[in-house]
Amino acid sequence: MQDQHNPQPGSNDPALDPSIWRGLTQPRMSRRQMLRAAGAGAGALGVSAFLAACGVKGATVGGGSSPKPGGVGSASWWAKQKLHHTVNFANWPYYIDVLKGKHPSLQHFTDLTGIQVNYTEAISDNLPFYAKIRPSLQAQQYTGYDIIVMTNNSPPLGYLINYGWLTPLDQSAMVNFHKYASPLVANPAWDRGNKYTMAWQSGWTAIGYNSSVVKNPGDSVQILFDPKYSGKVGMMADPQELGSLGLLAIGVEPATSTESDWARAAKKLQTQKSDGIVRAYYDQDYINHLKNGDTVVSQAWSGDIFQADLNHATSDLRLLIPHEGGMSWTDNMCIPAYAQNPKDAMTLMDYYYSPDVQAVVEYYNDYVCPVPLAQQVLLHPTGWAAETLKAMKPSIGLPYSKTANAPTVFPDKQAIALSRPYYQYKSQEELTAWNNLFLPITQGS
Amino acid sequence: MTSSEGVAPAAGVTRRRRARPGKVLAPYLLSLPAGLWLLALFLVPLVVMLSLSLQTCNFGTGACVMTWHWGEFWSQVSLYHSQFLTSIYFAGAATIIDLIVSFPIAYWIAFYGGSKKNFFLLMLLVPFFVSFVIRTIVWEFILSDQGIVLGTLKNAHLLPQNFHILATGYAVVAGLAYNYLPFTALPLYVAIERIDKTVLDAAYDLYASKREAFTRVILPLTIPGMFAAFLLTFIPALGDYVNQQILGGTNNTMIGTVIQNAFLTNLDYAGGSALSAVLLAIALVGIFAYARLLGSRTIEEYL
Repeated sequence: MQDQHNPQPGSNDPALDPSIWRGLTQPRMSRRQMLRAAGAGAGALGVSAFLAACGVKGATVGGGSSPKPGGVGSASWWAKQKLHHTVNFANWPYYIDVLKGKHPSLQHFTDLTGIQVNYTEAISDNLPFYAKIRPSLQAQQYTGYDIIVMTNNSPPLGYLINYGWLTPLDQSAMVNFHKYASPLVANPAWDRGNKYTMAWQSGWTAIGYNSSVVKNPGDSVQILFDPKYSGKVGMMADPQELGSLGLLAIGVEPATSTESDWARAAKKLQTQKSDGIVRAYYDQDYINHLKNGDTVVSQAWSGDIFQADLNHATSDLRLLIPHEGGMSWTDNMCIPAYAQNPKDAMTLMDYYYSPDVQAVVEYYNDYVCPVPLAQQVLLHPTGWAAETLKAMKPSIGLPYSKTANAPTVFPDKQAIALSRPYYQYKSQEELTAWNNLFLPITQGS
Repeated sequence: MTSSEGVAPAAGVTRRRRARPGKVLAPYLLSLPAGLWLLALFLVPLVVMLSLSLQTCNFGTGACVMTWHWGEFWSQVSLYHSQFLTSIYFAGAATIIDLIVSFPIAYWIAFYGGSKKNFFLLMLLVPFFVSFVIRTIVWEFILSDQGIVLGTLKNAHLLPQNFHILATGYAVVAGLAYNYLPFTALPLYVAIERIDKTVLDAAYDLYASKREAFTRVILPLTIPGMFAAFLLTFIPALGDYVNQQILGGTNNTMIGTVIQNAFLTNLDYAGGSALSAVLLAIALVGIFAYARLLGSRTIEEYL
């Protein structure tokens, strides 16, 4: 059991419960990883004359290899870049510290560097956002964003890397990153050597439950299949999340699973549905249904449950990372190709690896922190961090130590050991096969 | 255009000869704007959609190549045939509800509206000046489990605590019926309004009772209008995805939602196109059935 928090008193401005807002506005859908999308998919590249006649635009894309000497992203290219004192940052909604409608960490950044940040909450889902910026990238034009945040287990990050649509990072400018980044996000499997990405936040897809109803949750995913909670179980509509849980439930590691495992997992989930155990398949709104009692146990994202628990006086929600494992994902900052302000973007990205800054972000966010030292800052804040945390405290209403000691923010050994990576599709056919097994379960008629 | 009648043959010939180029071209020129509109905004997209359904698309680049992959149709239909059936069932139920609800309204306005007919028609349409999505979201708010209606009734112990309307098929059918009501009411009104009232008097003169006059005179005369109303309501409702998404749950998915997810959430353009093509075929079957039963002429009159 990961969550040892007691029900919390707090200031609890109900209008400010971030998990509700996040739940309402941030669909955590389509977490799929397809880092080697180019594989079999490359066979489908190219445009026939017939298609051109039909007006469907195809793409000519380059491979995502190392920067060529003197090319975009090389050391000499970075040396020529200048600060433009502006940066356009696209992030997911409710994913950064907020104080009275402003973002203290961004204001502090502008004070330090003179760089104005255009912070937009433009990303509510990986694939639709990718579909929006893709035409600009294909036309070799600026997407309008210098920094975007893409999830590691969703195909777009792999596409962007493989098609050469990300600007390789300036390793010499990643001073804070190389000094403070957690081993969980430094040199990750999805981007060896951090050539293109730096983590923004991470989290788990695990199980949330209402402790006032579920007295003995146990430590297994089988709780989601328990007939005792028939009609009160929430599952996720996203095929990646649903399928991964099905695999954990049949005792298979998702990352090393095979197509026959997928079929068995789908069968298990189909039975769970036809037995009437599942109330519904939810997107971002699962958290509201868990809060209002429509469900008592549900697939859940770690930060949401933690925030609901912290910021809600009457909440009995708890997070369970089962012994079969919790699916672990990371949202990554990256610079799209043809970005106009790459140097400003680099400066901002590295700034967020300062422990002081991450402490402020995490006090609001409660997802997994990419900078372990921020824990010490939360316990003994000084300077700007101390002032800002103090200013934020009335609206959050909890001691900083609650955040600092949460294993879901600064994971302990046990939590790290329970983290499981998602399956990486090796071809488009695999992705289609996966979707054709799990989508019909959630889009039932 | 029968101006040459009654004119001496010789003169008629010369006149016709002079008028010929304009006469031959005029209908084509007049229909040119509509023709271009149809071509650019209907036929071309239709061909693109049909060809996309036979192509293999790369999810990453969005590039598609023609592979004549007819299997896409079979695999999509075998995955989602039950969602098609749900859509037909929901759209059909909503249309029948609309016919039952709007017939008395249309009848009353046509026969008893008097000089205020246009005012009553406007009243019927006023709610629909507000965006369709917004009205549906307001219904979600009104009907939510602990909302102003159900919450109040539950607090008064008139309803069991776990009673809910949202996320059921009933909510979806009700939403569809509400949103497409004017598409049923207006063609019905046109059909009833044009009934010659003297025909009704004739029925009474022949000793028809009020009921017989209605069932044997008025109802048969409105049948073409009812079919037009049925098509105008049924076909858009069949592909609707807004009502299901806002008011429905996960066990009553309509095919429109599946298509929308294929295009926007999964970037599966080929699969979405194949499903759209099947949906279109179902709609066409309805239109052809109409044309066979009532003749294509009545379509022009009511649509």
